Amino acid sequence: MTILAVESSCDDTCVAVVDEDGQVRSNVISSQRAHDRFGGVVPEIAARHHLELIDVVVARALEEAGVDFDQVELVAATQGPGLIGALLVGLSAAKGIAAARELPFAAVDHIQGHVAANFLKLGPAHPVLEPPFLCLIASGGHTLLAHVRERHGFERIGTTLDDAAGEAFDKGARMLGLGYPGGPALERLASGGDPEAFEFPASGSRSRGGRGATRDFAQSLDFSFSGLKTSLLYRTRELDKPERTDRAADLAASYQSAIVDHLLLRCEQALERTGLDRLAVGGGVAANGELRRRLSALGAQVHVPPMELCTDNAAMIASAARYAPRLAYPEYLGLDAYATGERPL
Amino acid sequence: MIVLAIDTATPATVVGLQGADGDVLEARDDPGAGERPGHSTRLLPLAAELLSRAGLSWRQVDRVVVGVGPGTFTGLRVGVATAHGLAQSSGAELVGISSLRSLALGADSDAPVLAAIDARRGEVFLSGYQREMELLSPRALAPAAVSDALSAKAAALTGERPLAVGDGAVLYRWAFEGAGVQVPDDGSPLHRISASALCELGGRAVLGGDPVLPDYLRRPDAAIALEGAVG
Ligand SMILES: [Zn+2]
Repeated sequence: MTILAVESSCDDTCVAVVDEDGQVRSNVISSQRAHDRFGGVVPEIAARHHLELIDVVVARALEEAGVDFDQVELVAATQGPGLIGALLVGLSAAKGIAAARELPFAAVDHIQGHVAANFLKLGPAHPVLEPPFLCLIASGGHTLLAHVRERHGFERIGTTLDDAAGEAFDKGARMLGLGYPGGPALERLASGGDPEAFEFPASGSRSRGGRGATRDFAQSLDFSFSGLKTSLLYRTRELDKPERTDRAADLAASYQSAIVDHLLLRCEQALERTGLDRLAVGGGVAANGELRRRLSALGAQVHVPPMELCTDNAAMIASAARYAPRLAYPEYLGLDAYATGERPL
Repeated sequence: MIVLAIDTATPATVVGLQGADGDVLEARDDPGAGERPGHSTRLLPLAAELLSRAGLSWRQVDRVVVGVGPGTFTGLRVGVATAHGLAQSSGAELVGISSLRSLALGADSDAPVLAAIDARRGEVFLSGYQREMELLSPRALAPAAVSDALSAKAAALTGERPLAVGDGAVLYRWAFEGAGVQVPDDGSPLHRISASALCELGGRAVLGGDPVLPDYLRRPDAAIALEGAVG
């Protein structure tokens, strides 16, 4: 069974060919650098670019895999959540590809895709991770903890109440005068700084809401990054201009350390509560070196797929499609995309 | 040649299927006032229904024709992306045609025809034709500017009284009638893009080398704002 999968939930146009057993035949990712000058992803521009790129990326994924349409047996696409206009381009094209050949179709939840990256067959360096395990997914678009009990689903046991972790990196980078995307730039700057130079609010506390909300939050497995972001703003304001330049590396290191503290605390608490001893990490924030270093000290078995399978990609969507319901032609022709939350029934 | 034609530039979802005998079948979804367009949910089911009505399969389609607008951005992308997927997978030819020209062709008039699609934000997407000839190139403009746009083309628009069709002509009837343009009754089928016009235009279109992409006529707001900020 050869699966052709499309992912277009944000600003990367992705198409992959994956075998039924989880072998990745091709995994093409076309990143849209067009958003950098806007300091963030612009939905309308993302949707336009997806449409300009989609055929070429499909053709390249087939070519790299050495297969043609005749060999494709299942078509899959991300149905949501994500930017609706972006999702609709990939979903519409994928439905068209499947319909013209009356192939079966699998509509995949994007988050389930991140989880399923761990089920791909990638060779000895990255063994397939069998459930149950805990999965931290942290990117510019989502930050959550998934309790994975089986290959076809997960339970969301913690989620961000405001910004995503990647967004916190981007916004922090902007305050420190770094470009977009900010994560890698902030990490580079932080590498020359002292992570204990500045104090940030303790992990697990929250700036907004009453005392009850604060206690509920502390006891939950949820994330909140808006307080950290506000603190960084105050720290930079307290310094005069030359100081801000002198101490930029210290600010970056302390801020990064606070984000990582928060992510790690929740992972630790979740491992303890669930009794799980294995942790998988996905999403673009998995590229952060500080996070990786400190994850290894967690006392759990930590699995991080190769970076191109952590950031948004279509191989993970194909992987999830292996365990998702398969809709026969013509049942899927009327499928719509969804922007937020869980898949509509 | 078997032609499958689709258009999603307006709230309507329109599908046409032209068989080998040249007859055109039409299937469409016209959302009522206040209803959301059904592009994503209705387009392929309508196309599949037409094919089975005609006793044809997807693989027999020689050419996929898609209206590239101008019109609602998301609607256009659903239509164009679907057409890309269908054509790429089946090997059929892919042709993009102007949704405004299709609308005008449906009026089947010897008089000049203005095609007007509601562009939201208080504007219309407007163009003008006399049969094959383009009198007024596609543009987005405020209804109050319709009269000026026409008087600039007064020489071309002499003779028979021009006719305006489309949801933009219905919505801004006053602007067109005030400029001496005739607008059919609100309920007239002339205001809707028809399957036969799509199949006719798309069927005789010459295959081009350019990629088939929407004709947005408007740049993304963010790009305009950024340039404004830069100066
Ligand atoms: Zn993602």
